[in-house]
Amino acid sequence: MAYKRRKFLLIWVITAAICLFLFLKYVSPKVFQVLMAKGHPMPTPSTLMMWYMIMGVLAGLVYATTSNQKFADFLGFLLPDSGPKIKILLQKLLFVGFPVIVGWFVYTWSIPGAASPVELRIQHPTLPQEFEKLDNPFRQADAETQRKCIEEGKILFQTYCRPCHGSKADGNGPFANSFRLRPINFQDPGTIATVVDNYLFWRIKEGGPGLPTESTPWDSAMPSWKDDLKDDEIWKIIMGEYDTAGVMPRQREKLE
Amino acid sequence: MIKTFKKVLVSLILGLVTICVFGEYRQVFAQSSHLFRTYKHEVPQKLPETPEAIAEGKKTYEKRCWYCHGIEGGGDGPASKTMFPKPRNFTRNEYKVRSTNFGSVPTDEDLFRIITSGIEGTAMPFWSTITETERWQVIYYIKTFNEQFKKESAPKVVSVGSVASTPESLKRGQELFKEMKCFECHGEDGRGNGPLTVALQTEWSMPYRARDLTKAWNFKGGNTIEDIYRTISTGFNETPMGSYLDKLSDEDRWHIAHFVKDLSNDMASDVVVKVKLFEGDQLPSEPLDENWNKATPVEIPIAGQIIAAPRHWMPSVDAIMIRALYNKDEIAFFVEWDDSTNKQEEIFRDAVALQFPTKIPESLKKPYFAMGDSSGAVNLWSWKAYWHEGFGQIVEAPEQEPGTVSELNAKGFKSVITQPTESQNITGKGIYQNGRWKVVFKRTLKTEDAKRDIQFEIGKLIPIAFAVWDGSNSDVSGQKSVSSWYYISLEKSVPKTVFVYVLIAVVMGASVELWFVARLRRFPPKFEEE
Repeated sequence: MAYKRRKFLLIWVITAAICLFLFLKYVSPKVFQVLMAKGHPMPTPSTLMMWYMIMGVLAGLVYATTSNQKFADFLGFLLPDSGPKIKILLQKLLFVGFPVIVGWFVYTWSIPGAASPVELRIQHPTLPQEFEKLDNPFRQADAETQRKCIEEGKILFQTYCRPCHGSKADGNGPFANSFRLRPINFQDPGTIATVVDNYLFWRIKEGGPGLPTESTPWDSAMPSWKDDLKDDEIWKIIMGEYDTAGVMPRQREKLE
Repeated sequence: MIKTFKKVLVSLILGLVTICVFGEYRQVFAQSSHLFRTYKHEVPQKLPETPEAIAEGKKTYEKRCWYCHGIEGGGDGPASKTMFPKPRNFTRNEYKVRSTNFGSVPTDEDLFRIITSGIEGTAMPFWSTITETERWQVIYYIKTFNEQFKKESAPKVVSVGSVASTPESLKRGQELFKEMKCFECHGEDGRGNGPLTVALQTEWSMPYRARDLTKAWNFKGGNTIEDIYRTISTGFNETPMGSYLDKLSDEDRWHIAHFVKDLSNDMASDVVVKVKLFEGDQLPSEPLDENWNKATPVEIPIAGQIIAAPRHWMPSVDAIMIRALYNKDEIAFFVEWDDSTNKQEEIFRDAVALQFPTKIPESLKKPYFAMGDSSGAVNLWSWKAYWHEGFGQIVEAPEQEPGTVSELNAKGFKSVITQPTESQNITGKGIYQNGRWKVVFKRTLKTEDAKRDIQFEIGKLIPIAFAVWDGSNSDVSGQKSVSSWYYISLEKSVPKTVFVYVLIAVVMGASVELWFVARLRRFPPKFEEE
């Protein structure tokens, strides 16, 4: 198979890298906005961007070095010869552009900028022992009682939890914007659907202040309800909460 | 030879990418300005309004809506007790967002838009999450609560034209805002602080607050120019906001709409408040000082304090704006928030507090955001509006009185201590102007009482949180609007050496490049002829 000369290979590789950068920076946030049905663009995280860029550039280099001819063409672009005008223009551009870009990065790197706060949300700290043993007294009741409990729980949920967690238990209540660590979206299958009733009982009763200290930073704004809600009310809220969110608690594994 | 080139090239490009990405990485994380949802105008094809559809709608209503709107549509559901504004009473015609004449019921499409988009600033969520069929059905059921829907089968719809926004239009709008007495409720600057507002009550003793026209995110039924025009034209049923359809020509309504749109702002929020180095001898200590414009404002959403009883479910302040400046000795904060009145009572006073940890945290762990905890104390800077003695009196805070500042420490709600007089280091001053409190706090960067006072350091992220009290909303102690932790960062000035580094980098870049090209020319890559 004869090798087809590509005298502009270097330019193509650079263009591809720039396109990748532009895609990650501007197109992908929009794409994910549509895919994830969000009301705002979803910017690519900078570390992810770094890895994609490294992989993209390496892929370009791998491609350029697949044969010696190709690599000769790749570098040959920088050699002086009587190419078309555009080639000479691009050569000059590359020649001037490289030091300028290096200078620019050093500048942005060395000007003092405000550090970004690091705030992590670590989910699911371990349920304390004393809550492990509890049982929701209403889960075993007859269907009629359960229905009643769910309804009472929903009323309590709508009264006390709704301002933050929202009418739909989607974490979009009218107060939600004010808490940087946003209230949890219970409809998300990764939240309450992965835990048992007891876990919610612990979280509602003890709230953010009751989180174990060894796992800080907890920036949770979840209030502790132990002084204001009775245990029965909390169990009911939990049932109403699952019903409102449209998910089921994790089922305990039965030991044979 | 080619192998050497390969190596050099690979390492060069890798280095470049690394530099590029780290440069990117250092960018300050900015909070999305998309905190609020938009009003969606599109409406799909209607469903037929059949008894079956109504019956289905009843099921949806009794599954999702009744907790707030009441089982019989009276707006008195069990959850409504923790809400302000209260849910709509469907048995009355108090529909606000309509394309129909004042006093008429809304069209089905109007209801569809509201159910789909929800109402920002209220408890009404967006129901775009249920199917269109369900939404139409529930609309047909809601209509059964009010007989008027049967009588008016085809309510007159207000037409929407358009007039371009020009300086003349804005000027005319401003004149009309005065002429039509819009300011009597909405206030001269549109902050919802007009003289009538405070006194306004409907015959059902429900207080109505005039919209703060500077907060675009709270406009009911959208904040596009068409939405504002529609509201001016159709008015809000059963509220003091009447229809201007007959009082103003179509064109004039557009002029006012343009003026109102011009008054409104989006919330420009961020996580880090950048504190600029102020070039000048004295930091501004007056709220009206022009120099505050040199600082970057950050607006922060706040909500009712619901962490500990007594909880505040119905706050009246939903945002606070902060600016800050520093020089080599001092730091000054300027906070502003809208309040429709500066009326004070002995107990219920307008106030604001800034909260800092007593020590800049070294790890990620901060004190508890709600007034600290036993393991992390906070330093509170409090300002309270002036109140003159006279038990039970309700008076406006006099403009010439700066209010009182004090410094406190807290380790949780129950252990709040005012610092001793000798440790009170902050100065401050507040002024109420056209529906907005403007308060300045000032202190030296360092104090002698390092145990109780926050010591500011340049370049560090220092947590800050806010609390605002509105006396006229019966706010006092725990009854307040709060934020979670944000940060301030005292910006370093750009050192001159940066430019030397840049120069060195450019020279180095250029020499590497020259060397590379020279080498390439000397040993040009060879083509293997086939």
